[in-house]
Amino acid sequence: MKKLLAAMLTAVMLLSVCAFAGAENAKVLRFGQMDAKVGYDPQTNTNSGATTTEDCVVEPLYYWNDQNELIPLLAEDFPTISEDGLVYTIKLREGVKFTDGTDLTTDDVKFTFERMFKPETLAKSTSMYNMILGAKEMLSGEATELAGFEAVDDYTFKFTLVSPFSCFHKNLGIIYSAIFPREACEAAGADWGVKTLIGTGPYILKSSDATGNVLVKNTNYWGGDPHFDEIDIIFYDNNNTKLMAFENGDIDLCDMTSDLFMQYQGTEVEELCHHFSKLGTYFFVTNNSETFRGEKNPLADVRVREAMSLAIDRDLLCEVIQNGLAVPATGMINQFQLGFTAREPYEHNLEKAKALLAEAGYPDGCTITATIRKQDEADTVQIQSDLAQVGIKLNIEIVDAAVWSSERAAGNVQCLLQGWFPLYADADNNIYTFFHSDYSPAKSCFYSNPEFDALMDAARLSTDDAERQKLYEQADEILSRQDYGSIPLYYPYGVFAAQPYVKNFTVGNLIYHVAYDIDYDMDIYNAQK
Amino acid sequence: MVNFLVRRVLQALGVILAISLITFFILNIVPGDPVQIMLGDLATPETVAQVRAQMGLDKPVWLQYLNWAGNMLRGDFGSSYFQHRPVMELLLVSFGYTIRLASFSYLLAVTIGLAFGILAAVFHNKWVDKVLMVLAVGGISAPNFWVAIILQIVFGLTLKWFPISGAKDFSYYVLPAIALGTRYAASIARITRNSMLEVSKQDYMRTAEAKGLRDWLIVMRHAFRNALIPVITVAGTDLGNILTGSMLIESVFQISGIGKLMVDAIGQRDLPLVQGGVMYIAFICVVIYLIVDILYAVVDPRIRLGGGTRSE
Repeated sequence: MKKLLAAMLTAVMLLSVCAFAGAENAKVLRFGQMDAKVGYDPQTNTNSGATTTEDCVVEPLYYWNDQNELIPLLAEDFPTISEDGLVYTIKLREGVKFTDGTDLTTDDVKFTFERMFKPETLAKSTSMYNMILGAKEMLSGEATELAGFEAVDDYTFKFTLVSPFSCFHKNLGIIYSAIFPREACEAAGADWGVKTLIGTGPYILKSSDATGNVLVKNTNYWGGDPHFDEIDIIFYDNNNTKLMAFENGDIDLCDMTSDLFMQYQGTEVEELCHHFSKLGTYFFVTNNSETFRGEKNPLADVRVREAMSLAIDRDLLCEVIQNGLAVPATGMINQFQLGFTAREPYEHNLEKAKALLAEAGYPDGCTITATIRKQDEADTVQIQSDLAQVGIKLNIEIVDAAVWSSERAAGNVQCLLQGWFPLYADADNNIYTFFHSDYSPAKSCFYSNPEFDALMDAARLSTDDAERQKLYEQADEILSRQDYGSIPLYYPYGVFAAQPYVKNFTVGNLIYHVAYDIDYDMDIYNAQK
Repeated sequence: MVNFLVRRVLQALGVILAISLITFFILNIVPGDPVQIMLGDLATPETVAQVRAQMGLDKPVWLQYLNWAGNMLRGDFGSSYFQHRPVMELLLVSFGYTIRLASFSYLLAVTIGLAFGILAAVFHNKWVDKVLMVLAVGGISAPNFWVAIILQIVFGLTLKWFPISGAKDFSYYVLPAIALGTRYAASIARITRNSMLEVSKQDYMRTAEAKGLRDWLIVMRHAFRNALIPVITVAGTDLGNILTGSMLIESVFQISGIGKLMVDAIGQRDLPLVQGGVMYIAFICVVIYLIVDILYAVVDPRIRLGGGTRSE
């Protein structure tokens, strides 16, 4: 009996040791980020914090990689587009399976898009896909099927658009149109993206709670062997705590804010920081309408807006307020987007600004009010100081994000500071959705210029990127240099802190891709561990 | 005693009803449209209106309140607009974290607070008293988030004795419990000391000494017991504060408790979650005050007989 017990104990110990050793040898990436608290259904949220997890699990037809190139993902190749630009024929990769074992077919694509347009889904990004024929009818509840979707066979399908839209397949490269398995998604019902998320991606969502998410390798991934056995997304809502955890070796990789970066300058952590260029632009949004709250609005006059631009010291904003993590903007289109062209820096000339104000009928300056969020306070206070030098009194109202969002959407803001980030490197996804006269009122901007609108519309119709580049250059010239529809300030950089063994980590756009390229240098990793 | 209990319970129910009414109507008039926030920048006004109708937010506020109150009485607090989970489920999960943090903090606060208070009173005007009261003033004055960061740097980052953040097991709660409990330990210590000193001047204390009772018996049976009423008041209030006011500590140590849940919900105008959270806090406070009132009555019979007041 004693021998039996001894043998059992030994076996248990050996198993424990093996299990422990196995756990120790697992290659785990620990990524620290804020908890988005919006679930993980890419149709019902557009939060980049949630996208980190979604991007590991579910996949769209195309994919914007970290070099900002569009590549086919679940689609076998780029679409065949009809001559009139209305019909997109796409062929799916064959043999791709969802992690529940079911095959990816055109029926799943149909299901995904129809789910998106059902009113009860409350999908947030329908405006990126509602040019599909029948989408608007579904959204309004008039139709239950998507008229613009045709399944040719199990692996080939066609989208028909209401009007040509050259960026349509680019929008299909965004996670918001990730393809869901019909059967699993229907079975999950309201739990989809809350307790269940199944896709074709390289990782499987194993668990999710208030402390973070655990993703394990999809051993049957169609695209090859994923680099990690496990990815742990660990939530830190406090940036100081997150950086302390990084210093302590609790996480391998995390993002960092510019104010914290300053704190770590000159320390060992700075050597582990990597900069990347965000695709967006920070600008001072000016309300261009003739009146504001019943009174004459000085910002309706282009000379006042130009005077403001002349008064703002962009170099100071970038070097001091942004701690060098930004470069002065020369237009609204970011330097890494299709449509950018090199221009002279904006002039900083106080005398010229005063002269323009006098010409506009404000020789003694004027008073305007900025409604901003706390996060934009430092920049806005600097701008307040710059504008004061030419006689413009800028009052600052700091409100919480909810009030800011509602007031801005209602057109109740006279000016504000904000960053606007496209989801991929194309001006359509950036300035069309902010400054086109269909969109600008809901941003409290009220910019409207038929010539600008016509250029933006023309660029949507063209499938030739060289032609689109020219159209956007002209549009940005009108917006940023002639009309001063708003005042571009700077192109921001992002910062990530990565342990020395983390390699191949780059960030192309807003979405943090941790699932694909990133890996460990195992020599450094093993030496350090 | 039964009348006393019935009266207090009815008062508590009235308070909860009033709080539910006030918060519901205030939440509906504060600026910040949850539908606009939920749908984001690209939503058209038509979509916003359509979704508002779908969510029943276009109905009169009083009707929305009646619907909400009716559902609440059936235990249904609705679903979070953003997290898409039942409010009750989110509250229970967060409550689990908060109750663990609060329990450790409160245990620490009461144990250290009472010990320090009694010691300071016994050694009144001696160096022990002075040192402990300097510590108590320091504990009350130091902001808890500052204490938290110092603890993280010293005991987490430098000495590596405890984890810096998270809530996986007991070791994760040590630093947050100290950071949260310090202030309350200090206030309990001060009130215990003062109350004990007050009691020590009473005639029955001199009688006890004259009877030749042992010192510890005089302190614990006569002084401490009679000094308890103000201590119970402070300790009871502190329990409520710890349970409902640990937001900063939860944020610094990344503990997903009720405080953090509420702050995030308010920022997003997640109305069902805010309303549910407020009801939770109201319920906790009302129950604690009810228990404190009952304890008064147990400790001091004059209170339940209706002739006395708390200050007696």
